[in-house]
Amino acid sequence: MTVRRIDVREKVMAKNDELAVQVRDRLHAHGVPSLNLVSSPGSGKTSLLERTLDALGARVRMAVVTGDVQTQNDADRLAARTDRLVQAVVTGGACHMDARQIITALDEIDLEDTDLLFVENVGNLVCPASWDLGEDAKVVIFSVTEGEDKPLKYPRMFERSDYCVINKIDLLPYLPFDMDRAIAYAREVNSDLRFFFTSALTGDGMEDWYQFLTALARVEGAIRA
Amino acid sequence: MHELSIALDVCRIAEEHVGAEVLARVTAIGLDVGNRAGIEIDNLEFCLEALLGSAPFGSGRPEIRRLEGNELSVTYVEVEDDDGS
Repeated sequence: MTVRRIDVREKVMAKNDELAVQVRDRLHAHGVPSLNLVSSPGSGKTSLLERTLDALGARVRMAVVTGDVQTQNDADRLAARTDRLVQAVVTGGACHMDARQIITALDEIDLEDTDLLFVENVGNLVCPASWDLGEDAKVVIFSVTEGEDKPLKYPRMFERSDYCVINKIDLLPYLPFDMDRAIAYAREVNSDLRFFFTSALTGDGMEDWYQFLTALARVEGAIRA
Repeated sequence: MHELSIALDVCRIAEEHVGAEVLARVTAIGLDVGNRAGIEIDNLEFCLEALLGSAPFGSGRPEIRRLEGNELSVTYVEVEDDDGS
């Protein structure tokens, strides 16, 4: 018996990256901007989307693809806030969403009738950072109950994100959370991060977020026209 | 946490290069993994040992080279051939 070595030199996840390019091309062809919402579990991704659908639903045609390891609970919560389609992806144990799931979900969405696409990823600050879903930008949601040093503990997610929503600010009076330190830590790993400060529960600070989304949808809408 | 997904993609790449019927004769798969690739290397090694040691593989093993940076790639697959084949 002899052992033969076959040279490969292939990047792992290249397949996902190819599919992500397809997603991106498809969304851009229809002029639909897309945001991938990532965070640890319980930071308020679904609540942020619920309030966003309530506030902007009449002006911005939003589609949501929401992923969970098990259950369609988040999709059901969001579907209650909009007449538009909410696509549920149950990853069946996987700790992240991948680009193939987005391609499948897009098949069900009328992109010509969509101004803005949200992907609500599985709650996990580690794995979703490694999967490009074809989104325009990742938005990391970071709640004040989590501790200021999350950006240092999970730097890859903060590096890969363009936007950071610091959520649950209504709880600040009750917590020893140091906002300046949290921002400094986040900037340490990504100096270009743009911040929003929100309470998805009370609505505090949401206006800045809404303006950003409205501008994002409108700009892309202009390109489509 | 996602190392099993990565390991399965490694197996898919190996199959693409050698063909499904040859997987049982794979003895090793070489990988380059960077320290900033977002991978827990010991966990990836464990997943690959489990996958390469059972069908459709036989008794393959991972050979991981640890590097600086974001690299995450399969570099080679070693296959045992019958002499004269």
